[in-house]
Amino acid sequence: MKRRHLPALLGVAVLIAIPLSIRNSFFLHVCILILMWTVLGAAWNVLGGFAGQVSFGHAALFAVGAYTTIILYLKGGLAPWWGIPLGGLAAALVSVPIGLLCFRLRGPYFALATLAVAEIVKLVALNWESVTAGSVGYLITTLPSVRLFGLSVNWEAKTPFYAAAVALAVVALLTTGWLRNSRLGAYLVAIRENEDAAEAVGIDTVRAKVVTLALSAFLAGMGGGFYAFYFRYVDPDAVAGIGLSMEMVFIAVVGGLGTVGGPLIGAVFLTAVAELVRDRFQMGHLIFYGLFMMLVIRFMPEGIWGRVRRLTAGATAGA
Amino acid sequence: METFAQSLVSGVLTGALYAMIGIGLTVVFGVMRIINLAHGEMVMLGMFGAFWGQKLWKLDPFVSLLVWTPLMFVAGVLLYRLLLRKIIPGGELNTLLYTAGLSLLVANLALLAWTGDYRTISLSYGVTVRPFGIAIAVPLAIAFVLAILITVTLGLFLSRTNLGRAIRATSQNPEASVLMGIDVERVAMVTFGLGTALAGAAGVLLAPSLYLYPTVGELLIVKCFVIVVLGGLGSVPGAIAGGILLGVVESLGAVYVSGAYKDGIGFVLFLAVLLYRPSGLFGAGR
Repeated sequence: MKRRHLPALLGVAVLIAIPLSIRNSFFLHVCILILMWTVLGAAWNVLGGFAGQVSFGHAALFAVGAYTTIILYLKGGLAPWWGIPLGGLAAALVSVPIGLLCFRLRGPYFALATLAVAEIVKLVALNWESVTAGSVGYLITTLPSVRLFGLSVNWEAKTPFYAAAVALAVVALLTTGWLRNSRLGAYLVAIRENEDAAEAVGIDTVRAKVVTLALSAFLAGMGGGFYAFYFRYVDPDAVAGIGLSMEMVFIAVVGGLGTVGGPLIGAVFLTAVAELVRDRFQMGHLIFYGLFMMLVIRFMPEGIWGRVRRLTAGATAGA
Repeated sequence: METFAQSLVSGVLTGALYAMIGIGLTVVFGVMRIINLAHGEMVMLGMFGAFWGQKLWKLDPFVSLLVWTPLMFVAGVLLYRLLLRKIIPGGELNTLLYTAGLSLLVANLALLAWTGDYRTISLSYGVTVRPFGIAIAVPLAIAFVLAILITVTLGLFLSRTNLGRAIRATSQNPEASVLMGIDVERVAMVTFGLGTALAGAAGVLLAPSLYLYPTVGELLIVKCFVIVVLGGLGSVPGAIAGGILLGVVESLGAVYVSGAYKDGIGFVLFLAVLLYRPSGLFGAGR
């Protein structure tokens, strides 16, 4: 047990303690949203933060996950714990050809290409009615009755969803943590800093990027699958809109690009803004997303978590 | 055959307006190497300018061009001076994210102020004429003529005036331009103003022919990318050709392929060009 694992363990302890100590279903709902956004922010951050490949089309991968999960459930009766990982897998599969195509482009060109891919996916979701039910979308009316450890799961309570969200967020953060210390992570940072140099020292940059995109898509797709079960409703505007892609970008940028804890901070921030503003006006939170994104890039491009880490690192070094 | 001619004509008419939006984006990219994701919102502001001009002051939308174009130019200059100038040295991805934030901010402020209702502008001369059996909406035809006038004026400005030459020089080689005594900072400011003014003017011209709503910029910016990528980022003639090509492809596609996938055809074309000719259909190759 090393000292640097302490904050992570503490975090998990707090996450387990929350539903046991606070029995307020709105509070739990907010926690679930935060954890879901953490997963999505982490998914984007893997590609955008570590590899420096800005994608404006991650909603497409989220949508693939959400549709796969909900269709498997409604047409095949597949339970959530199979459906959600399969949603992630489907998104990862879809991402491979997308990656092979789009990674031939660099920087802003890549970003534009992902935007186009996302728009195409949304159009397909709208018009391929035999599979996606078009603009009507899918609605889950009943969830399966299951027993876990001899107790039947109460889907009307938030607790089962909370547990699932914790599991997904832990997976996402562990993946990011593993990536940071792995060989692939080092490749990605090299690609981010100087792609030509990375290629010159023998890194197969396209392969590294495609693998990373698949990883990112897996997380985003699982996030989509979770969304489908939690909100019980999937339609093209809800899961494939450009707004969703921008929210993922926002979380990663505000939290801190290329950091492990950043997406969690970004997600807390995003959810807090959304919930505080929602009472006053319906779409107002997007104004603040835009504003905060501009402020963060102007004044602390390393994000909140990045800034905190640098300050604490400075303090320890000075002491 | 008649259907073909009809969709060709309406494609060209819309395409000229697309081209105008594209030119604004491409000129800014040429000089500053930034992609302005908030460009679509500038078009949206122009559209709403035309709408409110007519609603509040009984101003004809095409006359209000004289008000909104200079105003958008000033707005662009201020935007550059106060906000963007500090961001650009941080790299192109930072600028991309920053303008994405700006686009969210402007679109949603507009949504707050004007609600998400779809609006239209009705004109007393908003009729359709049929020369040679081809239906042409009068407002779109007027917009087309004005767009060509504006584009030609811009072309003359870029090729004949000193400032225009400075803009082209900076776009070709910023370092050499500085050495030749060009005030690159000032050129960048004017260019950004020009790009914003073009977007605003295109918005005013488009307003009588499209539905107006605050998030229309989202749709327009994506079309705009398609245009500039088709023509090669940074090339003005390329943007004109790309705009008209997109207009024609969309209107032919709507008739011969499928109305539902009309917008998708543009995106597929976009991806194909990005992949096989990243410097544009008419570019010299990278």
